[in-house]
Amino acid sequence: MSFSTMRNLMLLSLVMVGVMSTPVLAEEYPERPIEVIVAFGPGGGTDVAARTIEPFIEKYLDEDLVIMNKPGAGGEVGFSLLAASNPDGYTMGFINLPAMFAYSYARETQYSRESFAPIANLVYDPGIFAVREGSQITTLEELIEYGKNNPGALPIGTSGSVGSSEHLAILQVESKTGAKFNHVPFGSTSTLRTALLGGHVPVAAFNLSEAVEYQNEGAIIILGVMDSQRSDTAPNVPTFKEVGIDLISGSSRGLAFPADVPPEIVAKVSEAVAKAMVDPEYVAKAEQAGVPLSYMGPEEYGEFLKTTDEGLAEAWKNDPWVK
Amino acid sequence: MFDFVEPLFNALPLVFELENLIGMVVGVTAGMIVGSLPGLTATLAIAVLIPLTFSLQPLVALGMMAGIYNGAMYGGAVPAILLKIPGTPPSIVTTFDGYPMGQQGRAAYALKIACWSSAIGGVISAISLMLFAPPLVKLTLLFGPAEYFWVAMFGLSSIAILLGKDPVKGIIAACLGLLFGTVGSDVVTGHQRLTWDFKYLIDGIDLLVILTGLYAIPPAIQMLEKAVLKGFTAASLKLNPEDSILNNLSSFIPVWLRGGIIGIIVGILPATGGSMAAFISYNETKRVSKEPQTFGEGNPLGVAAAECGNNADNAAAMIPALVLGVPGSGVAAVILAGLLVHGLQPGPSLFRDTPDIVYGFMWQMFFTSILLIAFGGQIAIRLFAQVMRLPQTLLAPMILCLTFVGIYSLGNNMFEVWLMFGFGLFGYVLNRLNFPLAPIVLGLILGGMAEHNLRLSLLLSQGDWGSLFQNRLSQILIVLTLTILSMPLLGMIRRKIKKQSTSER
Repeated sequence: MSFSTMRNLMLLSLVMVGVMSTPVLAEEYPERPIEVIVAFGPGGGTDVAARTIEPFIEKYLDEDLVIMNKPGAGGEVGFSLLAASNPDGYTMGFINLPAMFAYSYARETQYSRESFAPIANLVYDPGIFAVREGSQITTLEELIEYGKNNPGALPIGTSGSVGSSEHLAILQVESKTGAKFNHVPFGSTSTLRTALLGGHVPVAAFNLSEAVEYQNEGAIIILGVMDSQRSDTAPNVPTFKEVGIDLISGSSRGLAFPADVPPEIVAKVSEAVAKAMVDPEYVAKAEQAGVPLSYMGPEEYGEFLKTTDEGLAEAWKNDPWVK
Repeated sequence: MFDFVEPLFNALPLVFELENLIGMVVGVTAGMIVGSLPGLTATLAIAVLIPLTFSLQPLVALGMMAGIYNGAMYGGAVPAILLKIPGTPPSIVTTFDGYPMGQQGRAAYALKIACWSSAIGGVISAISLMLFAPPLVKLTLLFGPAEYFWVAMFGLSSIAILLGKDPVKGIIAACLGLLFGTVGSDVVTGHQRLTWDFKYLIDGIDLLVILTGLYAIPPAIQMLEKAVLKGFTAASLKLNPEDSILNNLSSFIPVWLRGGIIGIIVGILPATGGSMAAFISYNETKRVSKEPQTFGEGNPLGVAAAECGNNADNAAAMIPALVLGVPGSGVAAVILAGLLVHGLQPGPSLFRDTPDIVYGFMWQMFFTSILLIAFGGQIAIRLFAQVMRLPQTLLAPMILCLTFVGIYSLGNNMFEVWLMFGFGLFGYVLNRLNFPLAPIVLGLILGGMAEHNLRLSLLLSQGDWGSLFQNRLSQILIVLTLTILSMPLLGMIRRKIKKQSTSER
């Protein structure tokens, strides 16, 4: 037997052991606490969401979850750590779309869509356009009309920075309708919302869950929601689709493993998340906090990752937002 | 107008339930400990606490948060006075006069002033929260990007007063602060500024990293340099009999009132914090004083102004947070997250649907301030002041360890720890060259605020610079800024005229 055959045999047997041991591993999984990377600091929206669902996933997975805050670069540090972690099923993390993929256009990132094994989506919060009570513009049609007649004159404030989901949504509205607006990135939802309420910016683009309360109080008018159907929390608000703008955009939070985690383990965790998300106690907590839950299983979530990624690539091709 | 009085008093009995009382006491104690450890802040403590309060009643959890908030803001004064290390960002201002007082053997008196001033600032602030919450919120809506730009310019101009004896070094320090503030990803264009491909710099340098580095490391190095094996004698920590707050009440009351009002106004404005309240309160007190030259040399009124202004910011910062969901400070932002976790959505409906909790929280801000005197005054001073009796060679490694733990826990990464040590060595060099450190911190906080709001304002008006001067509020802020800037100039002219008139005689 030559040396190379022997080496090949050894490799083969190693692979065999690997293949055979996987199902055993999955059966006994989880044997020890699982680390959950949260790519934002304590007290942030993602952190609060993670700590709210943590006990419920623990309950159905019958194992402890350990939340590790790894903030930095708008979440990129945590996403990179997750992508590079050991795919043994004992490290998972929260990923935020579309922000996670959008960073890859502005700078080089150490991950791509292929770096992750999606587990489940938890939260989906569609984007909206809103104006202040008493504004001359009261419908989406009027907004588009104004943007066509006065190209680039009307400022729309966004809660993110350049390349945020709201900014990309404005770009898409522009390319679909021919209207032109003046993008003003405020950098945070709270400052944007105060500026809107104070009349310092005429139109604002942010997320539905952060706007509903103010519409109910009569302080703002939500012009439209960027979703496939009307929201239960704001049933009187039309979708962009209804007025002829085919636009679905929002921010989502979900759980993912690094790629190459055995599918059995993914399935097991995904099942626990699914159970946690229909736990009446959790549902009540999420509803109280105004968190719009939206469960997607591994396959559906993987498809969602793909369409988000491709949508971004197309938007970048049409109009690169970082020059 | 007074329809809030009834729910306010309906909530009072709930606050006195045993569980709530325990929550407040635990919060105040924990807050003082956390606040007195450099690098650990109220924000951090509350953020860590939130998940632990899931199983508690919302009001108990909020009581603990209120206690931590008020406790930590006072706790920061303890190391500021004893060691010249601010435990929390706003207590930088307390070091100005608190540390010299400690050096003169009046540490216990300084701590007592800090405690009383914090408590009184907190009480004034809590009353403002109760009385003004709904009407005052309308005021914040008047502030747009242009107005915030001028608020930042107003704050930056106060550096002119801080400059002191060596204006050139002060201006250099302020410019360094502005420079550090530019690090990170540009929100408007997405470009990365001065990040040198370090991922951890993309969000900018954390204020705490710079603060802890500049303020905690240099004293630790200096302690090691001197290698003093003995601590202070117990005698030097005794309260001097002639130093009684009650005897000097008449000089403290105006300082407290001024600091209280300044703290409330600064608190209500979002994106400003206790640091700015303390700075402005200190400056104003120094400005109106008959003997401004004694400030910075251990003037008790300086400590009172700083601590009162700082704690008067606390409850007031909750006004926009509770009514609008706009936090007036970093800590208020975390408390806001705590409210959300307990299913309480801030906004006008919060006052309508859960009045017991909103008004109960206001009472808790009030009572935890008073608790400061009981716990901070009697127990903490006696306990913490003993820190001074430790040999400094022991203290230095302890400080280094604490800063290490504090900064690591910010983001669980070593990069920021090394960055902090880097700033520490830098701060040590600056100290040796007699550069003031406070302008660096002010430049860092306000530079970013000024830049972002200037650009927002110009984007909104499509490049029209006139938009910065249009509103009445902007104009008022501009006049205030110019007044402050001309202050040293006026002083110079006045001195010259005086000299001339005396030489003519």
